Amino acid sequence: MSEYAISIASNMGMIAFVALSAYVVLVVGEISFGQQAYFGIGAYVSGMATAMWGWPFGFALVLGSCVAAIAAFAVGALTLRLRGLYFAIATLCFAEMIRLGLNSIHVQVEIDGEPVGPDGAEGFGDIRWMFEHDVTTLEYMFIIYALLGAVLVVLLLVERSNLGAVIRMIGQDPLLARSQGIDVGTCKLLVIVFSGMIAGLGGCLYAHFATYIEPNVFNVMLGVHALAYGLIGGLGTALGPIIGVVLDIGFLEGVRAIQGYRMIAFGGLVAILLIIMPRGILDEVRIHHIKRWLRRQ
Amino acid sequence: MIDFIQTTLDGLSIGSAYALIALGFTLVFGVMRRINLSYGPSIMLGAFAGTWAFVTLEAQPWLVAVVTIAGTVAVGMYVERLCFWAIRKDAAIASMVSSFVIWMQLEEVATILLPGRTYPYPELFKFGGIDIGPYFLRMEHVTTLAVAMFMLVVLRLLLYRTRFGLALRAVSESSEAAVYMGISPVRITFWAFVFASFIGGVAGYLLLAADQQVTPYFGLWATFKGLIAMMLGGLGSIPGAIVGGLLLGVIEAHTQWYLGNAVKDLTAYLVLFLVLVLRPGGLLGQGIVERHAQAFRRI
Repeated sequence: MSEYAISIASNMGMIAFVALSAYVVLVVGEISFGQQAYFGIGAYVSGMATAMWGWPFGFALVLGSCVAAIAAFAVGALTLRLRGLYFAIATLCFAEMIRLGLNSIHVQVEIDGEPVGPDGAEGFGDIRWMFEHDVTTLEYMFIIYALLGAVLVVLLLVERSNLGAVIRMIGQDPLLARSQGIDVGTCKLLVIVFSGMIAGLGGCLYAHFATYIEPNVFNVMLGVHALAYGLIGGLGTALGPIIGVVLDIGFLEGVRAIQGYRMIAFGGLVAILLIIMPRGILDEVRIHHIKRWLRRQ
Repeated sequence: MIDFIQTTLDGLSIGSAYALIALGFTLVFGVMRRINLSYGPSIMLGAFAGTWAFVTLEAQPWLVAVVTIAGTVAVGMYVERLCFWAIRKDAAIASMVSSFVIWMQLEEVATILLPGRTYPYPELFKFGGIDIGPYFLRMEHVTTLAVAMFMLVVLRLLLYRTRFGLALRAVSESSEAAVYMGISPVRITFWAFVFASFIGGVAGYLLLAADQQVTPYFGLWATFKGLIAMMLGGLGSIPGAIVGGLLLGVIEAHTQWYLGNAVKDLTAYLVLFLVLVLRPGGLLGQGIVERHAQAFRRI
């Protein structure tokens, strides 16, 4: 594979983490404009762990996703009462607070006579773990896809389980779920924490891939894109957001012929797609049909 | 004390522009219960059409205003047909995402129209401002405030004194019941959208004429300022949109004056976050949230 193809594939893998985290929140019936914040927290924390404190990469991944999960727990607990647009805007506020807060964080240490660490709006460079340990971009791409595969397997297993049915039920009608004796609040909180963890893990990978991160990478556009991926690919299965990512990034990079007009073409195509299939390509009904067809075979 | 009042006045004048944008959002949300994310970008594209006329055709400022408002309304109609009218009634999230992808489309159209980053925008008045005692008011800001108040009155009259307003409120209450009364929700929604776009176009023109420049980022800025102002005042409440907009302006002006530019946006988000967590209906709208919570408690 050429370096260019590897970088596109790695980017798709890392964005897929944010898309998946937005998707699980959508499945539980809420819209979040704030998943990019967990991505950013994961990126900054894990970057600090390896570049400033010299932690091994694996521990940095765990630390980054745990801190992101804790942040998601705090936000989820505070916004548990909110629904619909209120929840969406509250998460947006949180994410923007994190982004603007990162703009004014200056924590730097001297390593080999060079200052290393987050420097406000100047960003956070020299996250050099990949170079220091001779990890090629191809190997790193495999790390990304291995972790993405693991997350996908977990999500698909949960969807087959009783818990998955409960989560979908809450997403359809929380009042009905509550009257069936389901603890709606706890379930929602669980899903939100898990979504934060997934996004945080993606952020950890992103920081070490890009080696330079700045707060503006984690702006609201990233979060809204992640939402859109879930809806394009379909809300019926965890594979949906992946399809969305591949269509968007694959399409944007693939179709060089319409350079300069590609957002016009892509935007129009997605708008038409959403008219025909309002819950995406692989929505619940279509997944149900596919499963039934597979069982018959 | 003089500083404090001057800052408050400055805040009120920028806040009145926020209030206008929030009014447009409230109108659309009130009728459709859906969010139009490309509201800000449609204003931006209208403004780009206006500034295009200004730069290439050397149009007069009044003509620029007409082009801006007409452009915003035209783009608004396009968005309504594609993202709201065409999408099934029970798919509110699809509408929101669809309006987001159209946002990307509008931004690209704007950069094709005018590829640079910043363009000049003609100012409204050549004379500067008025002095009242120790205070100074810029003429553009006075105009914005006056227009916002005028729009509030017009909107109130439209909603509560005309047959169209009655029909609009009926659709907002229950579109099924409205159909039985012989009202066409599709038509009402369309005209509400057109009216909201008109308000947005006016707000955009006033804001940009005060700034005297326009960038593609205006779309993002307008969408999120409008959303914040609307949520701050209370979702779906017209006085709430005005109060939320003015309050947002005053908060921003004060934090900028006393704490600096970096803290300005942070404070706005923090205040809204706290309002949502502590008083989920916003400042002037408690009904919906309260009803929902009661239903939940009964079970």
